Amino acid sequence: MNKEEYLKKLTKLIYKLPKEDRQDILSDYEEHFMIGLEKGRTEEEISMALGDPKTVAKQIKAEYMVKKAEDKPSASSITRAIMAAAGLGIFNLLFFVLPTVVLTMVILALFVLGGAMVFGGILIILSSIFQPFYHNVQILTNDGGILSSLGGLAGGIGLAILGSVLLVGMTYVARWFYGLIIRYLKLNLKIIQEQKMV
Amino acid sequence: MVMNTQFKKGVLELCVLALLDRKDCYGYEMVDEISKNISISEGTIYPLLKRLKNEGFVISYLKESPDGPPRKYYRLTDLGKKKKDKLVDEWGEFSMGVNNLLYSKITNNLGDIKDE
Repeated sequence: MNKEEYLKKLTKLIYKLPKEDRQDILSDYEEHFMIGLEKGRTEEEISMALGDPKTVAKQIKAEYMVKKAEDKPSASSITRAIMAAAGLGIFNLLFFVLPTVVLTMVILALFVLGGAMVFGGILIILSSIFQPFYHNVQILTNDGGILSSLGGLAGGIGLAILGSVLLVGMTYVARWFYGLIIRYLKLNLKIIQEQKMV
Repeated sequence: MVMNTQFKKGVLELCVLALLDRKDCYGYEMVDEISKNISISEGTIYPLLKRLKNEGFVISYLKESPDGPPRKYYRLTDLGKKKKDKLVDEWGEFSMGVNNLLYSKITNNLGDIKDE
């Protein structure tokens, strides 16, 4: 592979990165080729010594994606980081992804439950308020007595509050979980490059 | 094979930091120096340098070169110096332990030298 082919291949493999980072990376490899040529090596020799562009690109991508997921937390950035790190073969995708997906589902389900509780609570509150006036609208309480309306109101408020508490609590859990994944990924990146001595 | 490459990658960080502790270098210079002693995949040094930069162990700057366009030089930060010292210590302990295992005579509990 000559210089142009090597750089073209690398560019293609990291096209997902922002232009700035891409140019920064490519300039490093261009500089490497240039100095190598000055020292009397051929383009083919330099390409060979640099190693497979695929390996190089994988490493660059994993590094970049994890950093991005850390800087800008989102569901898609963390997914990309996990996939990029998995591409390096640093952990068994199944063993890591399965528990992650299950836990994410549980967290999501609890979010939905919290939302449903708030929504249901509001519905009960509304029905308790309006039932005495509209006897034909029977949403949740059977008879339109004032006492049962008050009871419904209290229950509705309670349910809504409980749901809100659950929602707030889950936000903290979700944030903690996200941080945990990031830390795990970084640890793995470090291990693959550093392979700590004992 | 896999173990071997991973092992080299780990040592690579130590080598880079140690070289930069002596003087500021550009990428090719480090690759050149390291591959005189260990065979490495030269392309892996740039992602490594990027990570070291992200973690604040090194900084980079452009410097004019007598025979061509400016080159990207790397300099060790104070944090990087500390990291290097730590890694050198760890390496010393590790290699001494391995050498002990490889080259010392096998002894029994009483410290007598066993027949082979």
